[in-house]
Amino acid sequence: MSYGVYLLKQAWAGLNGKKGFLLTVVATLGVALGALLCIITLAYVVTFKPLPYPDQENLYQLNSVIVDKNKGVIARAYSYPSLIQIFENQNVFSQSALVRYEDGVLSSQPTQPSVRSTYVTPGWFSLLNSKVTIGRTFEGTEEKDSYNPVAILSYDFWQDEFGGNSDILQETVTLGGTNFKVVGVLAESFIEPQLAGIGVKTDIFLPWDFNTLDAPRRESFGSFSVSSRLVGRLDSKFSSSQIEQDLTIPFNSFWRENVNDSAFENWTLELELQPFKDAILGDSRNTVLLLLIGIAGLVLIACANITNLFMSRTADQQRELAIQAALGARKQHIFHNLFAQSGLLVFISTIFALLIASGGFSLLQHYLGSRLPRVDEVAINGFTLSCALLIALLLGLFFARISAGMINYRALNDTLQSSGKGTGIQVSNKVRRWLIISQVSIVTLIVFVNLGLLRDSLKIINEPLGFRTENIIALTLKINSASDMSHEESKSLLLELKERLLALPQVDDVSQSVLPLGAARRINQGIEGTQERSLVRTKYIDDRYFQLIEQPLTQGDFFSESDYRNENNLIIVNETYAEQLASEGSVLGAKISLANVVYTVSGVVKGVKMPTERDIPMRAYLPMADSRPQFLLKLKSNQSVSRELAATIVQDIGSQFFVSELESLDDQRDKLLFTQYTTAITSSVLALLTFFLAAIGLYGILAYATQMRRFELGTRLAIGAQRKDVIHLVVKDNVGSMAIGFVISFVIVFALYLGFSAELVNYINAQLIPLFVCTIVLITLMTCFACYWPLRTIINARPIHSLRGS
Amino acid sequence: MADIKIKMENISKVFETEEMETYALKNVSLVISTGDYVSISGPSGCGKSTLLSILGLLDMPSRGEYIIEDMNVANLSLDEAAEIRCKKIGFVFQSFNLIDDISVFDNVALPLRYRSDKLSVKEIEQRVKNCLDKVNMSHRIQHKPNQLSGGQQQRVAIARALVADPAILLVDEATGNLDSTTGDQIMDLLDELNRKGTTICMVTHESQYACRARTQLKLLDGEISSTPIQQESKHLLNA
Repeated sequence: MSYGVYLLKQAWAGLNGKKGFLLTVVATLGVALGALLCIITLAYVVTFKPLPYPDQENLYQLNSVIVDKNKGVIARAYSYPSLIQIFENQNVFSQSALVRYEDGVLSSQPTQPSVRSTYVTPGWFSLLNSKVTIGRTFEGTEEKDSYNPVAILSYDFWQDEFGGNSDILQETVTLGGTNFKVVGVLAESFIEPQLAGIGVKTDIFLPWDFNTLDAPRRESFGSFSVSSRLVGRLDSKFSSSQIEQDLTIPFNSFWRENVNDSAFENWTLELELQPFKDAILGDSRNTVLLLLIGIAGLVLIACANITNLFMSRTADQQRELAIQAALGARKQHIFHNLFAQSGLLVFISTIFALLIASGGFSLLQHYLGSRLPRVDEVAINGFTLSCALLIALLLGLFFARISAGMINYRALNDTLQSSGKGTGIQVSNKVRRWLIISQVSIVTLIVFVNLGLLRDSLKIINEPLGFRTENIIALTLKINSASDMSHEESKSLLLELKERLLALPQVDDVSQSVLPLGAARRINQGIEGTQERSLVRTKYIDDRYFQLIEQPLTQGDFFSESDYRNENNLIIVNETYAEQLASEGSVLGAKISLANVVYTVSGVVKGVKMPTERDIPMRAYLPMADSRPQFLLKLKSNQSVSRELAATIVQDIGSQFFVSELESLDDQRDKLLFTQYTTAITSSVLALLTFFLAAIGLYGILAYATQMRRFELGTRLAIGAQRKDVIHLVVKDNVGSMAIGFVISFVIVFALYLGFSAELVNYINAQLIPLFVCTIVLITLMTCFACYWPLRTIINARPIHSLRGS
Repeated sequence: MADIKIKMENISKVFETEEMETYALKNVSLVISTGDYVSISGPSGCGKSTLLSILGLLDMPSRGEYIIEDMNVANLSLDEAAEIRCKKIGFVFQSFNLIDDISVFDNVALPLRYRSDKLSVKEIEQRVKNCLDKVNMSHRIQHKPNQLSGGQQQRVAIARALVADPAILLVDEATGNLDSTTGDQIMDLLDELNRKGTTICMVTHESQYACRARTQLKLLDGEISSTPIQQESKHLLNA
């Protein structure tokens, strides 16, 4: 048998006899390393792993940036004619594509599901080298202006909606009233670049020509959309900034020549080349970095705990090691022995950690798929395995080194001579102190940061919106874009629908308005006769909107029914906007110029604040119907309206209408608060886990320290110390280490504040002081408990037990 | 007749397991008066240390009556027992039991710091110095215990036992960890302390030291095997 195998067998035999130690180390290290491997792999995918497209470093998105006169960025959005102009005339991309993200209702399916539809030119598939499972991608026959109604399904959509039907190429699907022949299904391995937002995956790809923008907007230079993109493969020897500069001048001039609205006087359009990777990742690298820091802290705590366990274990082994030394084992042999044990333990823990990481990937994909980019690509790969092996090796060596460092080789002989009561192996006070300091500083930092995040999230979750959401459901319809229904016809049918909805016994009130939690149009507007213009979130509402959602009026009047029916030129503003329009006196009666029409302010309402907004922005409300029909239904108590019922009523009114979405405002609010809920849950779990691990660790260290001092404490009791004296002594001995831990964590928090003050300005404020104090109190209590608990067996027994070591 | 310091009547100590009861002490009765010098000896496992532990309130008897200076102490709580130990009992251990991390001065001062009636710093200093003078260790006042020899450590331990001016000094195999010369010196010191009025009760298995006491008790299987031998200490006679 080779020496290595012999050592491993001995190590296993030793560990097998200490199952508690084995399980504790494997569980603690396995969970901590599993979490670390999970997040390290995510960080690798997000930061270093190339995108899965050929020549990926040359793939760019060309953004149209709207800039105001102060060079401030208003938005990144294209006007349709500008987008077409740059697509047709640019020569910096060797391959390019137009992309537009929309959603719709697949009316050809019995369930009429809502789908995410993406309108693209064929270049999209060539750029990404997309493979198909069945059929083909778009070709020359689907180029712009060819109007060939064909569709390509994503693999998941094909599986979910069509059950993976192999005859899918014989089928047509209907969207927006147009029948599209299915010509292909993308390969399962195809990873769509999520340019429209993290987690936004296309169900069905359609040719660019069929995007649902109406004719006026296709011709308008003053109407901008954030959903349209131009992407391509850069083929130029010039730098990105040079290209941007060269393209911007003609692009802006073309727009300026064609936009006939003084409202855009102060705007400039600039072109910006954004690498695909940046467009996909956004600022998620910071999120991943934060996660990595949190998990690293957790691993440090776990390692501190395990270090302590290893030291106690080595102390337990002193007689066995002494026998080995007596039989001729040198220091080196004893180290090999210890390394075999630590290596074996860490190896088993790493196997467990890989299992945990594997489960962690599924959790990440399930819960954070819509929050973190490229999560679908996270899996155990070569990088994960290499990291696992490297970490295992380093930790194995570290634990063996720490254990070996405790051994006074010369004193091992005394161990045998004094019947096992020698002091050949002991954890020094210095090491114990540093273990306590490291635990306290890390736990304070992690718990404080997580409590801060939790507090911030809970504040947003509990903040009132400023209007009612209970018992209100939102109904969004899609109109068949192929129908040639006039605005008047549509308005009349929708009024009829409103009456039908109001007649439902479950319904108390109905409003045909843009949803309060939905996106508003941002329209350039300002006081008539002045040049001052602002982009204001503007919603189209009816006369019932404010009463239905109980948004209070502070001045003037709500819209009347006739205001809505006649689309009178009235406008209601919120308090923030009113303040901007007239900082002194009443704003009622003020004239506002908006899209070349003058509106009179007829009322002021209290501001509402969306969960994602830090401040209340300016908002305006106009009495008219939006092109996208939406209804708010206030239900009677304990009543509900099903999607099937809504679809039946809608289809009765007109076959050109489809139910796109039906959900409660509470659900919409919860969706908007997803980040906050996720943050609250993650930070609570991380804080609790850290606290729990640290509590175990501190208990372990202090229990061991107490055990080592058992005889001394027994002596103190024997010469007259009372229990409180001993508790006081042990707590006092650890207060210094605890205080140093607190100071270190405070210094780190302060350094973070100094280093990242701009990024943290919204998080770090005076309110955090009580939170920091609370954290310190919590950890102090935990440490005091960890001091007391192992001590109680000593102080609650007669001193003779401690003196005899019984 | 001298004042009675300690009186034990029918003291028993039973260790119970699920299967059996083991008597470490069986109906032990003894009286120790002011200025006495008592030795308890016997073979290993006869109950010497158990008896001394009960005498020192480090352990409680299972049965019997135990009175120190007219106070029944057989069933005290942990804290009450600690208070009595602090004020009335001085303990000298076989392995010295000094605390390595603190100086000789602080080791000796410990019992004074645990008293409920706090003494002034000056008084503590005075008492510690006096006691270290008694055991000839004043010159090592700032040393740490591990810088001292075994005999010196035991002297410091004796000083610590005396510092609270206890009613009785309990000595558990004080020479067990020492060579014979140093052991003799420690015994001489104890003799001298007794001559000056300190009441001493000592456990030892070495007959040459046991016979230095005026009253010698022999324990066998937890019982006092014979009538206590009352005699003038040979050592004292020689002196």
